[in-house]
This record gives sequence, C-alpha cells and structure tokens, in this order.
Amino acid sequence: MLRDITLGQYYQADSVIHRLDPRVKLGTTVLFIISLFVFQGFGGYLVAALFLVLVIRLSTVPFKFMVKGMRSIVFLLSITVIFNLFLTPGEPIVRIWKLSITQEGLRLAVLLSIRLSFLIIGSSVMTLTTTPNQLTDGLEKMLRPLNKIKVPVHEIAMMMSIALRFIPILMEETDKIMKAQLARCAEFDSGNVIKKAKSLVPLLVPLFISAFRRANDLAMAMEARCYRGGEHRTRMKPLHYEKRDYIAYMIVICYLVGGVAAGKLMPLLLGSVLL
Amino acid sequence: MDMGIIKVKDLIYEYIRRDEEGNVEGITTAVDNVSLDIRQGDFVAVLGHNGSGKSTLAKHLNAILYPTEGTVWVDGKDTRDDTAVWDIRQTAGMVFQNPDNQIIGQVVEEDVGFGPENMGVPTKEIWERVEESLKAVGMYQFRKFSPNKLSGGQKQRVSIAGVIAMHPKCIVLDEPTAMLDPKGRKEVIRAVRALNDVERITVILITHYMEEVIYADRVYVMDQGKITLQGTPREVFSEVERLKELRLDVPQVTLLAHELRKEGFPMPRGVLTNQEFADALDRCVSEMVQ
Repeated sequence: MLRDITLGQYYQADSVIHRLDPRVKLGTTVLFIISLFVFQGFGGYLVAALFLVLVIRLSTVPFKFMVKGMRSIVFLLSITVIFNLFLTPGEPIVRIWKLSITQEGLRLAVLLSIRLSFLIIGSSVMTLTTTPNQLTDGLEKMLRPLNKIKVPVHEIAMMMSIALRFIPILMEETDKIMKAQLARCAEFDSGNVIKKAKSLVPLLVPLFISAFRRANDLAMAMEARCYRGGEHRTRMKPLHYEKRDYIAYMIVICYLVGGVAAGKLMPLLLGSVLL
Repeated sequence: MDMGIIKVKDLIYEYIRRDEEGNVEGITTAVDNVSLDIRQGDFVAVLGHNGSGKSTLAKHLNAILYPTEGTVWVDGKDTRDDTAVWDIRQTAGMVFQNPDNQIIGQVVEEDVGFGPENMGVPTKEIWERVEESLKAVGMYQFRKFSPNKLSGGQKQRVSIAGVIAMHPKCIVLDEPTAMLDPKGRKEVIRAVRALNDVERITVILITHYMEEVIYADRVYVMDQGKITLQGTPREVFSEVERLKELRLDVPQVTLLAHELRKEGFPMPRGVLTNQEFADALDRCVSEMVQ
C-alpha cells in the first residue's frame, strides 16, 4: 500500500514546458513569485493571470491537477482573508455588530488571495512538469557559484537525490515493521495523543537502526564505484541550454516588463475607480 | 613480475573488539594467513559459512579494507598504496549482498552510469557503456524503470551492470544471491557465468550456496579465517565428510552419490550435476547387471 505513492507530483507528459531545462523552470518560478509581490494593483495581476494560463496551456497538464495543490491552503487562505477583511482600518462599507468590513480591507483581502493562489498554482506547474531528479540537477548547476563560498552544493544535491531514492524503500520498511509489531499486539492508533506518540517508539527505533545500516552499506557501495565527491565527475545527462530555453527566458522578461507596466498604466486608464 | 590479476600473500586481518568505554576487549582474527593467486579470466568461488571471514577477504580485493599484515596486489598494485585506490576499485568492481543498498540512481540507466560518471568518462561514452552493460546482463529493456519496481534478481543484475560499465578486469561478488529467491539466484548466476565466458572478466564469487560453485574453475573453502580446502569443484566436492564438518551443504546429487558409494555402489567421487549423476548411475547399474 505505501509503496504506491509517487514522489513529488510529477505529471508525465511530453510538452514544451516538460522539455525545458529545469534551471529555466526554477528561475522562472522564483521570478514569478517575486513578481507577485512586486506588481502593484490589479493590472499586474491580470498580466500574471494571462502568463499562468499560457504556461498551463503549454504544459498540457489538466487544470484539476493544479487546483489539487490549492486544497491544502484553503484554510490558510480563508483565515488571511477574514483577518484582512475585518481588521484593516479605513472606510467602512458594511458593519456587522462591532466588526466592519472596510474598503481597504476588501482590497487587501482580494489581492492577498490572488497572490497566494497564483503562488501555489505557479509553483505546482513547476513540480508537475519536472521530475525530482531534474530538479536536483538543476539546483546543483544553478547554485554552483556558491561553491566559491564553501557551500557543498554537489554534496547537498547528492543527498537530496539519495533521499528521494530511499524514501520508497524506507516507506516499505515502515510498513513491514508496522505489520511485524501489529502481529505482536502493538497498537498504533488507539488512545490519546501521548499514548499514540509512545506507540511510535517501537516503530521508529528499528526504522532508524535499519536506515543507518543502509546508509553504511550505501556509502561502501558508492566508494567501491569510485565515488569521490563532485570533482572530476562527468555527467550522464548534462544540462544544456537550448533555443527553447532562451526563448523561455525572453518570454519571462517580457512578462516582468509587461506586468510592471500594466500595474502603472491601469490606474491611468481606469482612473481610480477600482483602486 | 609475473603475477595473476589478484595476488594475496599471507593476509591477516584483525578486528579489534571494544567495550562501551572504548577499551580493547580482545582481537578477532577474521582473515588468518590467507594466500591466493587468481589468474585473469578465472572463475573463482570462495565458500564458507557465516563468520568464516569470506566477506572480509572480499573487501580487501577492492581496497575497502586494508590488511593488518600481509599484502594484496590487484593488477600488480598494492592496495595499501593510497594513490592507486581508484585504479584498484576500477579494476576490481564489487557487487554487494543487499540489492537495495547499492543502487544509487532513481532510474536503472542512471544507476549504471554512476560508476563511469565518477571516473570522469565523457558523456557520449557513458551512454555507450550503459547500453552495452545493460545488454550484457539482459536488463536493457528495463533501462527507464525505477529500481523500486524491479525484482531482487533484476536489481542485482542492475548492480552487476553498474560494475561492468566501469570496465573492470575483475568482479568480486560478495554473496550476491543471499537475499534472493531461487529464480533470482539463477538469473544472477547465469549473468555472472555469461560475463566470465563471453567477456572473459575474472569472477570471484563469494557464496554459501554450493550449487553456485560447480561451474567455477577453482574453489576455496574458508573456515575461521583460514583456507581449509581448495581445488577444482570436483576435488572439493569429493571431500563430503570434510565439508559436512565445516557445516556446508553439499549439492543433493553429490551427497546422494556419496551415500551410495559409502554403501558399496561403484559411484565416482565428486559428482556435480544431475546429468553426471544419471550417467554414473547408468554405468553403475549396467556394471552390476553384468
């Protein structure tokens, strides 16, 4: 049962977005998130929305997969909206008992919910179209300059990819240990919180021991295969920028400029009716 | 200097046992005065029950452990020479017992490419090596699979491919079949034999399954860190009583032939395969009829 989980939420397809260099996707996601906080007013968000729609269309990933990620933040989103609605000082529109919804509060709440949902959708486009492996590769290459200030970039990336490789194995192991302990009358889901936490001890101890043993074996196997860190290493699947990656960067720059411009122009066009 | 691909001379390896405070409690001699000389292209099997020192010996051949006393040469290089470590590890590849704990990649082909990547092989050649090694163990059609979706025997073949991709002269397999089911065991042993026959790679197979060693050119039996028996499989399996003393199971046909012989039937010593047994029994029966 546990072995069937898929890591991350990669959606297998063969689209332009899938084929893009992971560095482009990582960079774009970061820029997109920053842009959401830099853009002023609704004009910028209109451009961001158009950009998102374009990317989602290109990725061929069904929209419902994007929305899946939203579910987890509905709670957070509603709290933010409520607090902003009622607690922002300003011109009141509606009064309910002692609380009032202000014009400024309404504006902030709408902006924030747009920001948050775009942020979630934007980053899930990246995780849906990039395998965890490509992500670590991309991160390693992007962060390589940090090597100069003694950040072990290659080692961190290697740790990430080994962790990804071992998560399903350790899951399976957890499952096995759980069954073995259940067969000996262990109870995992009864009693109060403290009792439940205590019942995890006989599960976690063997799991940790086995994880250490595996780590030891793996280290030996890696050394036996001449692993000696990132130096002198060649790549089986090296990352190369191609034409489409440069085009993607151009589009992102256009988007940023367009967004900022739209944010500035919109109030001029519409006056300050909406804003 | 004329020597085989692997030469071990008077090897002694001692584990120091310590109590909880780190004081020395005693010394266990895991490998005790072992000498071996293995020629290029040989298929050598090392047998022994648990704790006989056979895995410790194997780890010396890949410079994972260093001798306490004595010397190990791999392709003419002393394993204690720090500058030669990577050459030695490339010359003598190693396959371990647990298939899950030695696969590093998340996709079969990436794992096979791991060794060549570490060696600094150019990208194009890595792909060629990966393809040829996966084909050699019959796993090419699984190259895009996640290792987690493979059976034990398949995973172990991927591990072997990962070693072949480094173009070693010699492969040391440390109980590669101990965690596999009979089907997986057969798959792995078939792949190993093919490598030895076709690619002429020297194979050193550490095992406690007697059926796996009958194809070997030479068998060493270890007990308490020492080599107690050696010879061709036939010579070794002729010593049924001695093997029993060492708590090793002889293949069933060998045992049956031995028991028949003890009862006075004219069976030859050291019968290894079912076919040999059937032939011997035929001859035996016709002799008795006359």
